[in-house]
Amino acid sequence: MSGKIARFSAMLARGEVTSRQLTERYIARIQKLNPVLNAYVCTTFEEALIQADYADGLIKSGMAMPLTGIPMALKDNICTEGLPTTCCSKMLQGYRPCYSATVWERLKAQGAVLLGKTNMDEFAMGSASETSFFGAPKNPADISRVTGGSSGGSAAAVAADLAVYALGSDTGGSVRQPASFCGVVGFKPTYGAVSRYGLIAYASSLDQIGPLASSAEDAAIVYDAIRGSDVRDQTSLPSAGGPTPLECDISSLTVGVPQEFLGEGVAEEVKQAIGAAVCAFERAGAKVKKVTLPAFEVALPVYYIISCAEASSNLGRYDGIRYGFRAEQFGDIRDMVIKTRSAGFGNEVKRRIMLGTYVLSSGYFDAYYKKACLLRGRIRQEFARVFGECDILLTPTSPTTAFRLGQKPASSTAAYLADICTVPASIAGLPAVSVPCGIGEGGLPIGLQMIADRSRDDLVLACAHFFEGVAEVKTPLCREVQL
Amino acid sequence: MAIEKQQLEHLARLANLEFGGEELEKFKEGFEEMVAFCDGINHAVAGDTSSIRGVDSRTIDFEDLREDTAQPSLAAEKVLSNGQSSNGYFTVRRVVK
Repeated sequence: MSGKIARFSAMLARGEVTSRQLTERYIARIQKLNPVLNAYVCTTFEEALIQADYADGLIKSGMAMPLTGIPMALKDNICTEGLPTTCCSKMLQGYRPCYSATVWERLKAQGAVLLGKTNMDEFAMGSASETSFFGAPKNPADISRVTGGSSGGSAAAVAADLAVYALGSDTGGSVRQPASFCGVVGFKPTYGAVSRYGLIAYASSLDQIGPLASSAEDAAIVYDAIRGSDVRDQTSLPSAGGPTPLECDISSLTVGVPQEFLGEGVAEEVKQAIGAAVCAFERAGAKVKKVTLPAFEVALPVYYIISCAEASSNLGRYDGIRYGFRAEQFGDIRDMVIKTRSAGFGNEVKRRIMLGTYVLSSGYFDAYYKKACLLRGRIRQEFARVFGECDILLTPTSPTTAFRLGQKPASSTAAYLADICTVPASIAGLPAVSVPCGIGEGGLPIGLQMIADRSRDDLVLACAHFFEGVAEVKTPLCREVQL
Repeated sequence: MAIEKQQLEHLARLANLEFGGEELEKFKEGFEEMVAFCDGINHAVAGDTSSIRGVDSRTIDFEDLREDTAQPSLAAEKVLSNGQSSNGYFTVRRVVK
């Protein structure tokens, strides 16, 4: 089974299609379907056609690389020099960065073709992409449902074939959870495996850029193009040369199934799909073992304390002076900063800044932030213990399938439960992938999450590749997005 | 956990934000829920930190940091292009009268 990128690359190499023709085909699809899906918040068609012509030149001169001439998309929090980058916030309306993110520089160096920037939760804070200043994107499997978030636009674009692949960013599950909801592959590499330079910061110790694609093979090709150390990001890690191997002997693996991930709140259809996935590994000869991660109980509050603390610091830079929105009516300069921030940020962003300020403030620092950092260490220790007994963990990506757009949560924190399966790997900085593993009620995709030990990104992708081959899950598109 | 209105106003000042009277009342309720949610770290078993020893909660290995030497920087005119600027500086309303 060959992935979409390899198929298009082969067609480009044989001259069966040019990058310009391929790009024009994607532009036509976006023009037709984006008004329905709202996956893109900005399109860059003019630049895309110039990049496609450049790619065709590279192909003709025999200098093509794996991603040369392949049309793709970037989440709107990844800086692109001279092109709008707004984090889907009023605060960054009109902002055109004067530099590009390392990931985009690396893709451009391969001759990638950028179709546009994709929709997301404001400053990546959310699990449904509904906090976007530009309105929520819609799920291609059912347009009355959310895409998940925060990389919802990237997931919708890949699922509806409005891009061959896209990049997203994952702080607590923001690549994996929308991938699960939209029925595509979403990969969060080991923390540091991909440079964060030019990714607009939410929570710096958790943020990681990762690909969304229609297969594990495609995700691996994109990962290979963007990974590796970067002098401009001191947390980036060196990586081994050569492509990530996707073949592995499943019968030599011990698969762990953490019991806490299948507890209360996980839908029956999700449990059944995960059970069937575990059986597929068992049939291939893998040893299956039930494991426990008791610190799972505190993972969500630990995540929200640490991420909001970091966000309150990172978002302190938006003062209306150097970029983005500035309030028009104000008194002195301090009043200008306050009025700018109060009018520029949406409610969820303000809530998280306030919570972060609270847990870092005098009198509460030890009880919340310091304790959360200690518990983060415990979560890492528990993962280390579990990876002494098994090679890979299988869990649901999300407790449920995609919920309805505009559905009011029972409380202001109820929506945070959507991240419950994805935050543990984020806290520990581990590689994790979501792969479609079933179709639930209403034709909605279900995602299987696989987590491996630090720097075993290759194992995560190889297991995802194996599973795709045996499961062959096809996510149906709803009537409104079929051309 | 109840959060006093004055405490919220203090936090808002620290965060360079402001909330109108009604907005603050509405915000208070949701904020209290968030704090209660974060109190989940006090879970009787999983939240007990008394036995945690030798945990390294750092994300960065400081010994891996590069030397603090000057690197090429962004061009000033490009950086200034996203804000209000004049004569090579960002401009704001006069501070000293």
